[in-house]
Amino acid sequence: MPQGGPKSQTILVVGGGIAGITAAIEAAETGYDVVLLEKSPSLGGRVTKFNRYFPKLCHPTCGLEINYQRIKKNPRVKLMTMCEVTGIAGAKGDYTVSVKRTPRFVNDKCTACGDCKDVSDTAVANAYNYGLDKVKGAYLPHEHAFPMRYVIAPEAIAAGEGDKLKAACKYGAIEPDQKEETFDLNAGAIIWTTGWKPYDAAKLDTYAYNESPDIINNVEMERLAAHDGPTGGKILRPSDNEPAKKVALIQCAGSRDNNHLAYCSRICCLGSLKHAAYVREQYEDAQVDIYYIDIRAHDKLEAFHAKIKNDPQVHFIKSKPGHIKIGEDGRPLVCGERTIDREIYEEPYDLVVLATGMQPSAVKGYKPEVGVMEDEYGFLVPKANGAADGEGIFSAGVASGPLDVSMSVQSATAAALRAIQAVRGS
Amino acid sequence: MTKPAPNTSEKYDLGFANWVYENVNGGDKLGLCMQCGVCSGSCPIGEQMDHGPRKLFMMIRAGMKDEVLSSNTMWNCTSCYRCVVRCPRSVPVTYILQDLAAKSVELGYAKPNENSKFSNSFWWSAKTFGRTDERLVTAKYYFSFGVVEGVKRGLDNLKIAWGMIKTGRMHLTMPHQIKDKAGLKAILAKAAEIEERESKS
Ligand SMILES: Cc1cc2nc3c(=O)[nH]c(=O)nc-3n(C[C@H](O)[C@H](O)[C@H](O)COP(=O)(O)OP(=O)(O)OC[C@H]3O[C@@H](n4cnc5c(N)ncnc54)[C@H](O)[C@@H]3O)c2cc1C
Ligand code: SF4
Ligand code: SF4
Repeated sequence: MPQGGPKSQTILVVGGGIAGITAAIEAAETGYDVVLLEKSPSLGGRVTKFNRYFPKLCHPTCGLEINYQRIKKNPRVKLMTMCEVTGIAGAKGDYTVSVKRTPRFVNDKCTACGDCKDVSDTAVANAYNYGLDKVKGAYLPHEHAFPMRYVIAPEAIAAGEGDKLKAACKYGAIEPDQKEETFDLNAGAIIWTTGWKPYDAAKLDTYAYNESPDIINNVEMERLAAHDGPTGGKILRPSDNEPAKKVALIQCAGSRDNNHLAYCSRICCLGSLKHAAYVREQYEDAQVDIYYIDIRAHDKLEAFHAKIKNDPQVHFIKSKPGHIKIGEDGRPLVCGERTIDREIYEEPYDLVVLATGMQPSAVKGYKPEVGVMEDEYGFLVPKANGAADGEGIFSAGVASGPLDVSMSVQSATAAALRAIQAVRGS
Repeated sequence: MTKPAPNTSEKYDLGFANWVYENVNGGDKLGLCMQCGVCSGSCPIGEQMDHGPRKLFMMIRAGMKDEVLSSNTMWNCTSCYRCVVRCPRSVPVTYILQDLAAKSVELGYAKPNENSKFSNSFWWSAKTFGRTDERLVTAKYYFSFGVVEGVKRGLDNLKIAWGMIKTGRMHLTMPHQIKDKAGLKAILAKAAEIEERESKS
């Protein structure tokens, strides 16, 4: 640390999911200046893309909205969206952080009126719905986006729509000439909360993810069930938009598997229990089969497991399927051995959901090299001698391990406290 | 190879799992099995096995020595290695099955059955000619069930044989043999010697 105490008392938080938001607010409300950097155009991370939260099945906006209010009210939090860190130099108390900003082409005068969207003729994959549908070249990330500001896709600019969009905006919010920028920030401590991405289901070649639109992953299932998803909240078979009434949920799709992710992702069992509830709420006559090795509903969440287990139309089949084939009628056939009675099965379904695990986002792209280190799976964990060596970089949320929302929030609060200690020089 | 504890009167031999861990090729990896079912569910002929690898491994842990060593599971394994490729715990399923088959012969459990007879015929041809010859392997295999059964099986499969001859999959000429049969004999003798030495150590 530089002589005479830290030069900067600012805390930089990288990644604006539930963990980053929490760390930023906790530090700011304690009286510290915070810069919150987010790569995408809006905050909330993966949680915004859920239909509902386990275990109470409440809507994610309940939890997020109040946090957005706290950020809005607190002048100490400076939010920067569409920004990524490209380098860190210096030491605790005086880091220089290089940042790259991707253009949004929309400034803060935007009122989200949507006039630009009405004149755009480009269509781009909708990232909010994992590309399951399209949005216009001028779009609002989603209906609860924070900041509530439009984004112009680079595709629309490339298609020469810039001037037309600019003319359509009566608030002068559109700037088609924005370019990618790089700049430096000063911070005394850094909290890394870059979260996760679903393990790539296409790598599970025996599960035929790319061979049928009716084989999807668990984050896509969240969108299929959500009112602002591609089907308006109806759980329909993607191939023909017919109701998906016979549904297979495949646990540990790539998790606990030496050929893929060797660790238990900890939340996908609960995610699938939630998905069983989504299907059963929509269809009186639905059948849901959960294929599992063992159900891992940790601590207080066991009650949720017990509740779903009581539903006679949800079957728990103790078996990790060997493979999924496409039947002659085009329906996916789940094949394997039921381990309780050793029956070999080959069962057709309307929809198969692969419960893929959470893989740390940090496995790709820039990550800090001091303070934290990558464990064998790519999660950023404290270095054995990190804090002792006077380092001020900490990790939280799923960037630090496979956690649910409440555990992510706890770890974020803990990281905020460590960051405060670092910038105070205590 | 030390023999497993000789308490055959008991249904469950609690020392059996340890004996497998120590004596069967790949057996030391059995502790990794999490009973997920991928091996048995992936096996192309899983339905023809009395137990399938997953259950067999559980029976080993339970100490069901007699049932394990007289199972048909290892004899029906075709060594396609699908289970090995897919096992999430990297258990060398095929190797374990292969060596369990060998152990069941050594310990006198394997009754002569379709699979062991075929295996013997195959090995006889390979050892004698340095190659496998369809006609000789098949004939030796059919007649290992006795003359009457041998003729019956031969006649039953005449159509297939004729089809194979027509498409050039089977020949009527002299069996192909390797040139250096003495060399092959020396290799096999050396292998037997090494196996003998290693099973003693
Ligand atoms: C199918 C499924 C269902 C789930 N359901 C539930 C549930 O019902 N209840 C529950 O408690 N948990 C659930 N979880 C777990 C939950 O998703 C996580 O606990 C939560 O998302 C963790 O939040 P986070 O902030 O750590 O990460 P994220 O939500 O991934 O947020 C990370 C943020 O960082 C940003 N970012 C990434 N890289 C960079 C970078 N280089 N620079 C800047 N920003 C970056 C991202 O854009 C994102 O906004 C579920 C998980 C799955 C897979
Ligand atoms: S939480 Fe469940 S589905 Fe996910 S890896 Fe663990 S056991 Fe498998
Ligand atoms: S696939 Fe591997 S872990 Fe699963 S039951 Fe078979 S041997 Fe055990």
